[in-house]
Amino acid sequence: MPVISLFAWMLVIAFLAFIACMFEDLESDIGSQSNPNSQIQLAPEMGYIHRYFNKAISGEGLSYALSCTISGTIAMLILLQFESVGPKAAILAIPVGAAVGSLVHMVRSSTCHVGREAAHKRFEQPIYLDVFYGHLLPIATHNFMAVICITAIAYIQCNLGILSGVTGASNPFPLPLLCLIWGLTVGAIGSSTGDIHYGTERAFQDKPFGEGRRVVYHGQICRYGDCGVRTSKDVASFCAKFGGPATGLAFGLIVLFENWRTVIGMLLGGLSIEGLANPAVAATWGIGIGVVIAIVLVILARTLEKWARNKYGPFVGE
Amino acid sequence: MEPITLLLVLVCIIIGGLLSSLAVHLMPVGGAPAAMSTATGIATGCVMLMTGAAVTGLFTASTVASFWATKPSVILVALSGAVGSMLMMGFTMFVANLIYIFGAGIVPCSGRVAVDPITKESQTEYKTPRTDGHGVPTASFVSGILGGFSGGFGGALIYVMLVSDSYAHFSVATAGIVAMGIFIANAIIAAYNIGGTIEGFHDPKFKARIRTGLTCSLIVSALCGVIVVIAMLTGTLVGGVM
Repeated sequence: MPVISLFAWMLVIAFLAFIACMFEDLESDIGSQSNPNSQIQLAPEMGYIHRYFNKAISGEGLSYALSCTISGTIAMLILLQFESVGPKAAILAIPVGAAVGSLVHMVRSSTCHVGREAAHKRFEQPIYLDVFYGHLLPIATHNFMAVICITAIAYIQCNLGILSGVTGASNPFPLPLLCLIWGLTVGAIGSSTGDIHYGTERAFQDKPFGEGRRVVYHGQICRYGDCGVRTSKDVASFCAKFGGPATGLAFGLIVLFENWRTVIGMLLGGLSIEGLANPAVAATWGIGIGVVIAIVLVILARTLEKWARNKYGPFVGE
Repeated sequence: MEPITLLLVLVCIIIGGLLSSLAVHLMPVGGAPAAMSTATGIATGCVMLMTGAAVTGLFTASTVASFWATKPSVILVALSGAVGSMLMMGFTMFVANLIYIFGAGIVPCSGRVAVDPITKESQTEYKTPRTDGHGVPTASFVSGILGGFSGGFGGALIYVMLVSDSYAHFSVATAGIVAMGIFIANAIIAAYNIGGTIEGFHDPKFKARIRTGLTCSLIVSALCGVIVVIAMLTGTLVGGVM
């Protein structure tokens, strides 16, 4: 039974990871953070005055590492204060930690947007106050969802031994360090995958579909929506249909398979309530399963590339 | 503390640092232009991507290292970290390609070579004019997987040497942070060396710059190793500050 419980917690972690990364990507889209920010930044210089929110606090990984670490630290402090209450204190500690983390993120977004737009005065780009106020709440709420999920993942992994009843299942890293690790990873994945849907497709929707965005198009972002002038909030509604969930899937799959291969390895290494009988066997099986998954991924990637080449064909046009 | 132990820690930190630098050079990094499908590779910076991959490996390495009550197996822990980073890279590149193909209708192709060195398929006719390629083609994918393995191995090797009671015997958290620090220092130096985008081992930039990158990494890692050895000798971090 405890081993089944271990698998159940693993699935909970994977689900939380999916939600976290999806919201992380959508938050970065609302704020035009990370890579596509180069286009939002360039647009006024090209004469394209826009109503997008413009923040590039830092790379997404570092920005999320900070938010999540603040959240993890506050959560750990509250947990230590309410140690006598037991695990129930987490119900208060995790949301309060995440709220502080997202508030700090909102403050950084504010200063970043105003600073960047003020620097564009020479290109006659105004600071639209409705754009400024209107985007702060979506940024904070999306960030809160991502940070609360990451803090919950870190909390579960820190206390997995107690929660599942299997000795030695907990990760030895403290809660803030796990938050830092997963914050960095969630940001790196959100930046690597989700940005493509925004940068290639949504920001250049008036350019031909199915081709890389040529250098001459850079800065010429699409500024009009289905109705009226487009803002960054319209970007989130579009990316939530594919880019966001796909990004969530990437992080969810990473967390799922990372934990799955470790737990399967532990089972084959003689896992029981008392702990592991044979650590070397457990580690070797974990490595072996991981290598097999990587080989399958290479084959899948090759199959997908082949399919795309056959289906879309060579480039047609000028 | 035995001089041979100190020397082993120093050597392993240097090896770990060199592998981290090699890993960053192997990454198919397209940077910001890749997010607009103007360059081949993953749409983020070298440091961001490699750090994300390495910390995923570090997480698995820390779990595997805790399997042993004392004296964890260095090679098995390092390999576990390597596989963790490899999987992170694999899933990220695969989903990125899903978005390129189904979200933007783009065929992955290399902009730096005319023929993919692994599949032997022509790339030029699939490339959009006035771009530097787009997506993650097979050669870049394999290069990314190898980079993930190398970086994860390097990071986890440094971590296990620092945490093991046979070697540095730092606390778990301190070892994690020090390993991450050495890794990031190497990643940043490598990113400066690459200076923009790189497609992987088949990119002419790789051959031209890898030697400089590894030399710089050797110096940085040796410096970091000496600081760790001083910390071990003075007992500053033994048992941990956290």
